[in-house]
Amino acid sequence: MVHEPFDDFELELRQALERRPAPPSLKRRLLAQRAARSRQQTIRVPSVLWQRLAASVVLVAALGGGLTWRHHEDERRKGEEARQQVLTALRITSHALDHAQAQLAARNRDPQNDSQ
Amino acid sequence: MAPEAQPDWQPDFEELVDRHQSMVFSLSLRMTGDRGLAEEIAQDVFLEMDRHLSKLESAEHACFWLRRVTMSRSADALRRRKVRGMDLWVEIEERHGMRVEEPSSPLGSRLESLLATLPEPQRAALILRYQEDLTPEEIAATLDAPVATVKSQLQRGLKLLRAKAATHLKEYVRGA
Repeated sequence: MVHEPFDDFELELRQALERRPAPPSLKRRLLAQRAARSRQQTIRVPSVLWQRLAASVVLVAALGGGLTWRHHEDERRKGEEARQQVLTALRITSHALDHAQAQLAARNRDPQNDSQ
Repeated sequence: MAPEAQPDWQPDFEELVDRHQSMVFSLSLRMTGDRGLAEEIAQDVFLEMDRHLSKLESAEHACFWLRRVTMSRSADALRRRKVRGMDLWVEIEERHGMRVEEPSSPLGSRLESLLATLPEPQRAALILRYQEDLTPEEIAATLDAPVATVKSQLQRGLKLLRAKAATHLKEYVRGA
């Protein structure tokens, strides 16, 4: 730090404002208060751990429930697809049967077919 | 003007107290003129530092932070207590029978007393300049004030202090 040179008054002022030593009790009290604060934080830790454990259990249960629900949904969807396939097959079969029946009916109505 | 971070520096509370308690105590003592209050402020400042220890990035940053918070807390305390300047110094010495540690010269002791009678912004600027050896730019950063304002306060504060010294201190010979 570069200053302009101090005059005599400023030098006197600088000397007057030299740092004073802090009272010895200051550090002692600080360390004592800090230790007390640290002890309070240690006492609070177990309850914090329990809270975290409870939160973890809830999270796992929620995840498990979600997975189960998803499995059910998959199964339901597969069942629905199978049902649709069966219905489609039945419709095709029904349509084919209707067509065959119509042909038979037409043949029965034609007398030329009976005489031969 | 923020101090640069030091990646490998780890703050140690007790070491910081040992290194800076004199500075913190002296700043608050000269701002408030009350030894008991200065000790309270110093205690609060270091406990506050303990809560913010992980945010200190270097030794210089710690020093800057301590100065800044000490000056701020001292100003707050003054507003709350409305400490009177010179009269209070006299009151403390007389009532408590406690002598403030004598600096090397009687003149120095009187100067310190006269300093306490200055308006708070001028007193703050002069304390940071002559106790902490800070430049006007560094004082401005500490007090969060414009540099021009700080320079003006230094100039006016020093002029006022000289005038008071010339009036009250017969043994003082005006400097250059």
